[in-house]
Amino acid sequence: MPALTLIFPESEESADLAARYGYDRWLVSRFREYVPAIQDFMDKMEKAPTQYIRVNTLKTSRAEVEGRLRSKGFGLKRTEIPETLMVEKAPMSAGATNEYLLGHYYIQDLSSCMAVDALDISENQDALDVAAAPGGKTTFMAQRMSNTGQIIALEPDGKRARSMSFNLARCGVYNTCILKMNGLQAEKLQSKFDRVLLDAPCSCEGVISKDATRKTSHTPEDVDFCSSRQDKLIAVAARMVKPGGILVYSTCSFAPEENEMVVDRLLQKSINISVEPTKYGSSGLTRFGDAVFDPQLENARRLYPHLNDSTGFFIARLRVG
Amino acid sequence: MTYRKPTREETTLIKRSLGRWGAFEFFEGKSLGIHENGSKEVFLLPDDCERVMQMQPYLAGLTIGELKKQFVPSMAGADLFARFGKRNEFYITVNEKAEKLVLYGRDVMGESIVEASGVLGENELVIILNCRLEAIGIGRTRFAGRLLLQIGKITVTTLMDAGYYLREEG
Repeated sequence: MPALTLIFPESEESADLAARYGYDRWLVSRFREYVPAIQDFMDKMEKAPTQYIRVNTLKTSRAEVEGRLRSKGFGLKRTEIPETLMVEKAPMSAGATNEYLLGHYYIQDLSSCMAVDALDISENQDALDVAAAPGGKTTFMAQRMSNTGQIIALEPDGKRARSMSFNLARCGVYNTCILKMNGLQAEKLQSKFDRVLLDAPCSCEGVISKDATRKTSHTPEDVDFCSSRQDKLIAVAARMVKPGGILVYSTCSFAPEENEMVVDRLLQKSINISVEPTKYGSSGLTRFGDAVFDPQLENARRLYPHLNDSTGFFIARLRVG
Repeated sequence: MTYRKPTREETTLIKRSLGRWGAFEFFEGKSLGIHENGSKEVFLLPDDCERVMQMQPYLAGLTIGELKKQFVPSMAGADLFARFGKRNEFYITVNEKAEKLVLYGRDVMGESIVEASGVLGENELVIILNCRLEAIGIGRTRFAGRLLLQIGKITVTTLMDAGYYLREEG
């Protein structure tokens, strides 16, 4: 496998930040190349991520959930995504209320909801969720589809598929089939879909605030590995889209090798795919180190914890001609 | 998992049960499937899923119940029946205190029931609703009629509750 991950020379600042916040130096040297306001970013990553809930409109309404949780002492604030509420105050775990058990909401990060929003999915469409478990995005897709049409959700791991089946049942989703299948085998389905979501397995740099071990536990080789797998997955996912349909590619990594570079390589191979603008976050990178990407990558979106109050995320909406 | 279409006999039994829960109309025109794995689970299927069904999905649609001698709703089924069906004598409503207990799998005391039909018999399957008329459990009556309301006694056994998802998943 070719080494892809770019390593930059250390500076005094990156060495200082790495020491102060407990990161591997190579990682901070890279962040310095593309993360805006890096000091704010590092500070924000030390704090627990803001919690969000997504109202399950298959069962209830936003106003109903707001009213019921506020009466229990929750502080909630509306967000750009109409179904998603920020939890400002929680007198108990958001996963311990009766409303949660009854499937009235799903605990889901704002960035994850934005990836589904970018799909622009509607009723009676066919959708493929390539790496589906635990089902947060799938259940949101089902909700946007009003439980009509059909979602095929792929998950190769039995335990994760089982966990996902509980989430689908709790949320009252009945337009979804789970297949125990690796996304790389998706062409066995012999179908094409109006909408395809590939939330690709990644190095998870974007969730360091949830799991601090990732500051030092992953290596450039891990990023290479993920990037290589993502290349294969996105190529398959793009072939699963009906002409005129949309593929949303997302990761919870900051690494350009897992994001813009993956999409750029797909664009180089395909003349009929374009990157469409989406609403939220900062523009995608059009260069990184010596690498220059297709200018359309500016339409992709990066979500940074210190700018968007979400976990780190990358979203690209690709229209397949 | 292997799914199949219900036989004519099974379809009759399911339809009769849907009528019992006042949910017949909601299911009209919708596809149902059976999965046998020791038990016979009944699934509400997505539209046009024939091709996927041939690929032996891990899960297809939503389990709405199980066919035994009679159709026993799952929690997801009870939720659909309560939201989209016509509530009838087979639904009982409990107070807020009992709601919390039912969600931990506890049985229902007579004094917790705020509404129950006087015509309910003993050993009847019922859907347990909270005060907002949301399905929180499935139970079986231990007494008939007004005796369901007697104080100091468990009058409905909780067979399944909405807390199940969390306990099973965990």
